[in-house]
Formats: sequence, C-alpha cells, structure tokens
Amino acid sequence: MIRFLAQRTAQAAVVLLLVSVIVFVLLHQLPGGPARAILGPRATPQAVEHFDHQQGYDLSLPLQYVHYLGRLLTGDLGESYKLNQTVTALLADRLPKTLVLTGLSIALAAVLAVPLGVLQAVRRGGIADHLLTGVAFLAYATPVFFLGLVLILVFSQRLQLFPAEAPQADTVGGILSAPSALVLPVVTLALGIVAAFSRYTRSAVLDNLSEDYVRTARAKGQSNARIMARHVLRNALIPLAGLLGLYLPTLFSGALVVESMFNYPGMGLLFWNAAQGSDFPVLLGVTLLVGVATVLGSLLTDIAYAALDPRIRSVS
Amino acid sequence: MTAAGSVNASASVSAAAATPGLARRALSVFTRDKPALTGAVVLVALMAFCFLGPLIRPTDQTHTDLSRANLPPGSPGHPLGTTDLGYDMLGRLMTGGQTSLEVGLAAGLLATLIGTVYGAVAGYFGGWLDAAMMRITDAVLAIPALFLLVVVATIVTPSKAVLILIIASVAWLSPARLLRGEALALRGRDYVHAMRLMGGGGARAVFRHIVPNAIGTVIVNATFQIADAILYVAYLSFLGLSIPPPAADWGSMLSTGITYTQVGYWWLIFPPGIAVVLVVAAFTFIGDGLRDAFDARLQRLGRNG
Amino acid sequence: MTDSLLRVDDLHVEIPDRDGDRRRTAHALDGVSLDLAPGEALGLVGESGCGKTMTALSVLGLLPGGARITGGSLTFAGTDLASAPEPVLRGVRGNTIGMVFQDPLTSLNPTMTIGAQVAEPLLLHKGVGRAEAWRRAEEMLRLVGLPQPGERLRTYPHQLSGGMRQRVAIAMALICEPRLLIADEPTTALDVTTQAQILELIDSLRARLGMALILVTHDLGVIARRVDRVAVMYAGRTVERAGVRALFAAPRHRYTQALFAALPERAADASQPLATIPGLPPSPVARLTGCRFAPRCGFASERCETADPPLEGTDGGARREAHAFACFHPVAADADADAHADPVAEVVPAAPVPVSAPVPASASVRTDDVLLRVTGLTKDYPLRGGPFARRRGAAVSAVAGVSLSVRRGETFGIVGESGCGKSTLGRLVVGMETPTAGSIRFGGRLGERFGERDPATLDRRARKAHRREVQLMFQDSYASMDPRMRVAAILREPLVIQGIGDPAGQRARVARLLDDVGLERGAVDRYPHEFSGGQRQRLGLARGRARAPSLVVADEPVSALDVSVQAQILNLMRELQREKGVAYLFISHDLAVVRYLADRVGVMYLGKMVETGPAATVFASPLHPYTRGLLDTADHADPGVRPSAAPLGGETPSAADPPSGCRFRTRCPHARDLCAREEPLPAEPAAPGHTVACHFPLTPYSP
Repeated sequence: MIRFLAQRTAQAAVVLLLVSVIVFVLLHQLPGGPARAILGPRATPQAVEHFDHQQGYDLSLPLQYVHYLGRLLTGDLGESYKLNQTVTALLADRLPKTLVLTGLSIALAAVLAVPLGVLQAVRRGGIADHLLTGVAFLAYATPVFFLGLVLILVFSQRLQLFPAEAPQADTVGGILSAPSALVLPVVTLALGIVAAFSRYTRSAVLDNLSEDYVRTARAKGQSNARIMARHVLRNALIPLAGLLGLYLPTLFSGALVVESMFNYPGMGLLFWNAAQGSDFPVLLGVTLLVGVATVLGSLLTDIAYAALDPRIRSVS
Repeated sequence: MTAAGSVNASASVSAAAATPGLARRALSVFTRDKPALTGAVVLVALMAFCFLGPLIRPTDQTHTDLSRANLPPGSPGHPLGTTDLGYDMLGRLMTGGQTSLEVGLAAGLLATLIGTVYGAVAGYFGGWLDAAMMRITDAVLAIPALFLLVVVATIVTPSKAVLILIIASVAWLSPARLLRGEALALRGRDYVHAMRLMGGGGARAVFRHIVPNAIGTVIVNATFQIADAILYVAYLSFLGLSIPPPAADWGSMLSTGITYTQVGYWWLIFPPGIAVVLVVAAFTFIGDGLRDAFDARLQRLGRNG
Repeated sequence: MTDSLLRVDDLHVEIPDRDGDRRRTAHALDGVSLDLAPGEALGLVGESGCGKTMTALSVLGLLPGGARITGGSLTFAGTDLASAPEPVLRGVRGNTIGMVFQDPLTSLNPTMTIGAQVAEPLLLHKGVGRAEAWRRAEEMLRLVGLPQPGERLRTYPHQLSGGMRQRVAIAMALICEPRLLIADEPTTALDVTTQAQILELIDSLRARLGMALILVTHDLGVIARRVDRVAVMYAGRTVERAGVRALFAAPRHRYTQALFAALPERAADASQPLATIPGLPPSPVARLTGCRFAPRCGFASERCETADPPLEGTDGGARREAHAFACFHPVAADADADAHADPVAEVVPAAPVPVSAPVPASASVRTDDVLLRVTGLTKDYPLRGGPFARRRGAAVSAVAGVSLSVRRGETFGIVGESGCGKSTLGRLVVGMETPTAGSIRFGGRLGERFGERDPATLDRRARKAHRREVQLMFQDSYASMDPRMRVAAILREPLVIQGIGDPAGQRARVARLLDDVGLERGAVDRYPHEFSGGQRQRLGLARGRARAPSLVVADEPVSALDVSVQAQILNLMRELQREKGVAYLFISHDLAVVRYLADRVGVMYLGKMVETGPAATVFASPLHPYTRGLLDTADHADPGVRPSAAPLGGETPSAADPPSGCRFRTRCPHARDLCAREEPLPAEPAAPGHTVACHFPLTPYSP
C-alpha cells in the first residue's frame, strides 16, 4: 500500500505542476499580454514597458515560468484591480464558504443516492427501477441553472417556502446560522450528483449480486437482506470513495453556477463576477485553486479507497 | 478430407447462423429498448422542429420590437408568447435549437475522434508514453471544464467554429480515459499476442484490433459526448459567453429568464429549459440503450463457449 | 428406499428465455433421478452442459436467476426441498447440507476476513456467541490442514494460495457438521498434487463425520477412487447408475461406453487414433423425443428416436443398488472381454475406416535433423519491490537453465504442474518473451537460411522469417481470435502481415487450411463465437499452420475441452503431423494426453527440467522422484489401481524464493544433505537419451 500511495502522490505532484503550466499558458494568451490585461487597455506604452520589466515579462518564457512558479509557492497570485485586494486574500475568504456548500451537497447526495441505488438493484426491471432510472436520466440532462430556476419558481416564488437568495454572511458561522436560505442552493447542487451516484450504486450492487461469493453466502443459509448488508454493500461501496474524486470537477462547476444564481458569497460567485469584469488575476487565481483542490481531493479519496479495500491494503 | 474431417462434417452444420453486422445490431436496439426508441423519436422530432420549423413558419429573429415585449402565450400570432425584446418565443426556440444541435453534434463527434485515438495509443503502448499522456489528461481534467471554458471565452469572442473547437478541447478527455482503459484490457488479449506473433506492428494493433473491439464503447461514449456538448453550449450561453446576439440559443434565453422569475413570466423559462432537457435526455437514452445492446451481445457470446 | 438420505425423482428444471420466447425455453434438467444413502459417496459425472452442476444447485434451491424446478421431487431426510418455502431452505443450507464450489477465489468474499466467513454459518444456525464461533472456526481450519490457523483467521482470501482457499471453503461448508456435502468440481481449478490433497481431505472428513457426499465432476479419473456409486448424466438426464467398480468394468449405456473409449488411457498405443464421439450434445433449447444420445449413437434404432428409455436395471427395477441404465440397446452384460478390444469399430461402425495404414509417428523422424535446440534457457521476472523483496533485484525465476532439443516431425511433450514454467518456456521458444540467459537455436529451413542463429540476435527481416517457422497454438482459441473478425480475415491475417500472395491466392490457401482441419469452407463467413470449443481449436490449428511452420508450440491445446472433443483434436494433430511432417512442442499438465501423443517428454518442476527421455520409457520407468510422484498422484480412470505412495505432500515453493540446491528437495521423500548443498546436473544413468537431474535417481522400474 505504501508503494501505491507513494506512486499516487508523485503522480499528483506532476499533475499539479502541469496545472500551473496550463494556467501560465492561459495567462499569456490574455489580450494584449498580461500587462495590458492588468493595467487596463488605456495604459501608456511606457507604463506597459515598466510593468513588463518589473514583473519580468520581458524575460524568456521558461524563465518567466520559473518566476511564476516561485510567486505561486510564496502565495502571490497577483492583485485584483477591480476589488483592490490581493487574490490570495480573496480566495482565503471565499474558499471555506464554497467548501461548506459542496460538503453539504455531497453529504445530501450520498444519503439519497445509496438507498435509491440499492432499491433499484434489488427491484431490477420493476416499476420503481424504471421510474427512478427515468428520473435519473432527466436529472442528468437538466442543466443546473434550469433546475435552480425551477426550484426558485416553485419553492420561492409560488410557495414562498425558502428565500431565493443565499445567506450573505461573511463567515462560515454566519452562513450556517441561516439554514433556510441554504436549502435551495444545496438541494440544487446535490440533485445533479444524486443521479450519477444512484446509477453507480445500482450497477455496482447489481454486479456484486451476480458474483460467486453471493452464491456461497446463500449456500450458508443467509437471508437476502443480511447478504446485502453484510456482504454486498461493503464490496459495492468501496469504489464509491474513489468515484468521489472523479466528480470533484463536476461539483465545482455546479458550484460555480449555483453560487452565481443564488448569490452565494463563495469562490464561484467571485469567479463569475471576475468573468463579467475581465478581472484576469482573479479569474486565473480561482482556476488555479480549483485545479489544485481537485487534484488534492482526488488524492485524498484514493487514499481512502486504499485504506478501505483489503486487497490494496495488504499486498499478497 | 482426412478421416478426422469426414467424421465431423456433421458437427459444423450445427453451428449457429451468421451474425448480423454491427449496424443492424445497433438498429435492433431501437426495436427492443423502449426508452432508446423514445429518445430517437424525440430527437428526430426536435431536429425537424429546429431545422424545418423556421421554413414552415418563418419569424423575424433579428429585429427587436419592444412594443410587443413579454406577451404571454396565447397572444395572437404568438402561441408561446414573446421574449423581453419582442421576439416570437416559438420561432426563437427553433432557431436557438439550431445552434445548440449543430455545435453539440460537431463538438461531440470531434471530441470522440480525438479522444479515441489518443486513449487507444496511450493504452496500447503503455510505459512512459502512457504515463506522460495520462498526466496531461489528468491536469486538464483537474480544472473543471466550465472554468476553462469561461476563461477561454473571456479571452476570445466565440464564433460557431471557435465554440466547437473549445468545447471539443475539453470534451476529448472522457473518451481518452475510456479508450485507454479498454486498450489496456484488450492489449493483453491473446488475439493481440497472436497478431504480434505473426509479425504485426503497433499501428495494426491499434486500428485493426483495439479500436474495432472497443467500438461499442466508442459509439456509446459519442452519444454522451454530444449530450455533454449541448449542455456546455447551454451553460456558456447562459453565462453570456457564447455567440453574441442576435444569435439565439436556448441557454441565453434562460439567462434572460432569470430576471423575470420574481414576476412569474414562466414562458421565458420553461420552453428553452425543457428543450435542453429533452435533447440531452434523448441522446442519453439512446446511448444507454446502445450500451445495453453491445453488452448483451458480449454476454451471449461469453455463454456460448 | 425409506432410508435414503437424498432422493431425486425425475427432476425437471427449465430456464425461460430472456425475452420470453416460449420456443427458446432451455430444458436444463430433463428427468434426473438419484438415490443417496446416509454416509454414501455418489459421483455425478458427465461432460460440460449435461446438467450436473444444475442438479447440484437444485438440491439447495440455488438455481441461477430465472431457472425453476418444473417437475419431479427432491426429498432430503423426509422433507421435499423442491416445494419447500425459502425459510426452510435457508435452515438447511450450510447447516444440514454443505456445498463447496469450483473456484475458491471468486467463491469467497474478498473484503471479509477468513475467520468471519468461516464462523458465519455457526452464527446463523447454531446460535453460539461470536467468541465461541471464532474458536470453533479456528479448530475447523486446523482440521482442514491450514497451517497457522489462528493467524489465518484475520487474513483475507487473496493472501492465500488456491489450495488453501479451497480448504477454507471446505471448512465453511462443514463447520455445522452437515449430513451431506455437495462438492461441485472442487478440484478442477487446482494443480494435480493439490487436487489429490483436497480429495484426500474430503475423504477423511467424510469418514470422521459420517457424512454423505455428492461429488460432481467431468473427470473420470477423480471418480474412480473416491466414490461408492456413480451416476452418469447426458443432456440433462441420468443415463446410467451403478457401483463404481461395476461401472468401470462393464458400462452398459452406449454413451458411457463411448466416453471410456475416448480416454487417452484407453488407447492401445499412439499409432491408433482415439475413439471419438461424432457430433455434439443437443442444445438444451431443442425439443427432442426419445433417447437424447440417439443421434450420435452407433447402435440407435427407430425405437430409440421415438420412445424415452426408462432408467432401470436388468430386472426392470430401479433399486438403489441396481446397475440401472436408460438404453434400449445396452452393451451386453458379459462384454467386458471386448470392451477394450477395438473401441473404434465397436462404437462407431458407420464411420469410414482410416485410409492410411497406421504408421508409428516416429518413423518419419530423421534422428539427425534437429529443428530446435534450447540450451541453458533462463527467464527471470524482476519483482517490483513490496514487502516480500528481501533484497533489491529479487526476481521470480520462471525458467532456470532448461535444455532440450526437438527433431523434425516429432512431438516433444512438456509436463508439469502450474507454476513450473512450461508456459513461459513455450513463449520463449516462440519469441513472445526474450530470455534472460541461454540460447534458442533453430535448424531446418531457418538454419539453412541464417545458420543456426539465436532469434534474439536476428534483425527484423530475419525475425519475421523466424515467425514463419514457429507458431503458437493457444489453449483458448476463442481468446486468441479477434471476436470482431470473421474467420476469413482471421486466417488470412498471417498471410497479409507477411505479404504473401495476392488476395485471391490468400483466399485459396485459407480454403485449403480449412479442408486440412476438417471444417467446411462455408466457415469463412462466420465469427469465432459461432463455433464450438473443439471447432475453435481446429481454427487455431489452421491459423497456426497458415504459413506451414515446421514447429508448432501447443500450450495446453486440449485442456479446456471435453474428453470426446479432446480426442478429435488429438487425432487431428496426429494426422497433420503424419501428412505434413510438422513437429510439436506439446505443453500440458495432463499426463495421459502427453503419454498418448508425445515421442519424447520433458518433466518440469519450478523452472527446472528434472527429467527428459522417450515418452514410453519415462512413463513406464521414471527416474526422478517428482515424475514418480506425478504419475502416482494423477488419477487413473480405473478403480482397481491403488497408488503405491501417498500423494505428494506440501505445496510448491514460491518461484521468487526457490529452495537451494535441488528445488524439489522440500517435498522429496529421498532428500539428503547433498540435495540442499548442490544442484543436481542432468545425467544419463540408465540409458542414453534418458536424462535426469537428481543426486539419487530411482532405480529403473520396479513395481
């Protein structure tokens, strides 16, 4: 297992490096070059030249990358020229709130998806299975923003149950103290993932049900319910931990849309506003952070997977 | 014929009849799998709606008419009402669909093509080539597609072609990973070994043995890629980063709809949203049906041994 | 009959078609009748598809999805299990009836500890506490011969070898001390020596617990010594029932007779083709009348095709002890004299007699024409670290210094158990792997063109030529053919790659290849999956011969086939060798097959060639203790033969850490100090041509 983990960590490091390269490349695609992007289109040529020299943009590309990497490692992501704060500070403020949103959504999705998936597998081919499959497909086909709009229309405008705007607090504590305003954003984000998770659970359980060891368990006299609980689920759900890592990009994308729709003060909204205002340092900073978060998140779920599966835990 | 042969002439007669080709098997899905059939019907209907509709019922989708803004459905001449800029809703729905479908189809197919070859090569050759190729895909995958798309769209003003290219450039990752997995599994198969023993090389292996044997996965994945591409277009235009107005798109229609949720102008929201859901769901049902069909064939083959 | 433990009466099981098509309902069991007394061992034999596994599963109601019992009864200790409700069945499973399955790897839950799995039936049925259950589980593991049972309780299945896993499965099945154990092919997935150990274990446990046994297997050799009575199945029916000695001495049903005749052991000598059973078993979907074996039987009459022969003894009854058979034209009761005489003519009188006069295969061998010479061949696979590499650079020694030579037109057999390196050796000769040390030299046509060169040193062009001369015939031809290509493309591929001939010429060659292996020319348009196992092996042979190689390496070519089909393929290989002069390097773990086909044989153990020599000599008078042990352990299809020694004990050591000196010394009954210090070199103590690598070889044959 150590070997497996060492390998995965080394891979993650390489990927992180590549992510920084991608962002760096994007940085240089900005219209007019990074200088103009940051200083604005009306900057004088002398200001641009001065900026370039100061920031090292007149050096060769590889050297620039090295400088860039150096800056990254010291936490310098530049400054937002619209909001007058360093990008790092902005991210530090917004990231925890996004994590709250995504964390709650994952938890809700898992709690809903696993029982649904098991139900579908056990009653395979029945009405419940077909119905739920159809719902899962429709959920997958529904863009997050449409889902959110529908939820807002129904629960906020018509039924007046939940507010259409997320809590506007600055701190995590503040966010959590207004639960009713959290409902719609969390549910919107969760529903997009529930479909995929329940489909996965269904097929994993079905695959395991046809394995020989289930037949052995029946030959010992176990009841179907106990077989499901004691034998099948642990084999089917272990890979779910690994699956989570795969879904992080989707989650973050969803968070981007949900935050902008519900005005939730997280990273997604920050990103969205920056896109509107062409605030490139923020845009790139968030992109980089999301990339890093995804890679680290995948690594963590891989570690969890290895810890849970005895076949990986103890190499024979 | 040798003695051994004549004794067994009767044996070969009991072998099953020839298998129908791939296309016929794929089409047979639609006769058996009801959701797939529904999906296909819906898809054909929607395509007719979007491409033939404006020919049958032409409407003006370039000139605004604020005097007729926000009319509810049922108003004379506007069965689905009008948008906030006075465009006829039904007509706009049709032309908006054209963009979504064209870009979605093109981007999805392009992504599948690139991804398939990339993944098959990586999986078959393995070693450091595979490791390098996969780290690259990992890196691009790490950054959520939407974020990348937004950044790129902010830099470049998209036209249809550019939109196709940038969507394909994030969508190729999924088929690449899938095909790599398939190639890894297939390259250890005895028939690949047998081909190498005959003296065959890598190109033959990838294009004659690996990709054809993974064609089921490729086709199924293509349908999902098209579905995803249509979703990406919708997201991008919802965020205002797609082809600029007066070009119509379901996503941008929805983004204008947000402003009017509080006053309940539901006809600005539901028609384009439902249209997106229908198209994407249709492709997904078709893809799922195809996957079952290809799997079933493999299962039956396995049992025949 | 009132004291039967298990009584199966005319059992019918159906599997409806997936899409509901009534015409495609499969009749998996079409009238099975068994009768088992308490403490008795019954063998259930038949070839694949005959329904023996289905019968075993029916007893416990473990039929796969969709299958249902549609007729007959299943009475166990007075209770009818066929109609019993699920709670009753659950009470019986694992409690009064235990079951062991074929593949111990997939039959155990990979994420549960051994202890938890073995203790589970106790917790379910005997209401004991957890601590007590685990204690008894440990005891049971000790009883089944698992070393260090206390530590094993907390390990997982993937950490054990195949033999140990099967012991665990047996422990699980027996922990509640059932009255009946059903074992479905319990040893098929295991080595010959491990097989013997497991079967011994089951025997001893049976005696200890006074348990009855149903042993399901396709291997007649396994049945011969382990059971009291036998039931033979064909096409979902019981066709014959008898005591084991009576059955082997004088089978009555024509199918049983044909089955025995097709065994390689029964062949008079290698110059005679094996008796085969023409045709294939009927598909379970087909609706037939009359005797199911009639279409393939040489003695069938019109009556056989219209009426169902009842299963009864010569006195018309069906008592348990009677020798019952379902045949209108059985073998005569006193026919044991000619049961062995001329199997071919007796069983298949209508088939044409082989045209060419039987010529011993070795007559076509020119002793000075060496085709393949292997010297000191070694292949090591580096171990990738992990907790078991004691030092850097540790490696798995798959083949360690093997030398042999194959002459033009002869068959060289390589035998050994799994893990001995014979498959690796085959791959090295063919060129699929590169050796770590040693040399492979080819004579014959290749030698003429390039001199006797090592293929590893040849350039690309030469290597392509090399690939023409040596080809591989795979064990599983289905896996070795691209399922998406039609036969025409598959057989043409070797020609296309080598650029031989134009499309028309290639097609003509393909047609000739099909003729040679006895397949109809229409096969070119079909896909591999449309052929039966035996036919696919023919296709594999055809493809291997596409460029007329002088040497074919056949890696377990008949291991996956039923006895009757195996006979067809072996006959075909012999024919082709006679007509075309192709040499074979025949790799197999099945001693009977190798003994039949090979001119010379080499025995491998843990990467070493321990004995080589003429097949007849080595098998009749082995010089190496391991060869002797293998011959003794292998089950002979003859209940009269008692082994002269106990089965080889212990397990094969790991190839990553082989014993010092002689690798066999850890299991050798004659090992001494010298054996640990010095590795024995091949020598010829008895006769030239018969080499053995042993410090204390056995004396040439004495019973």
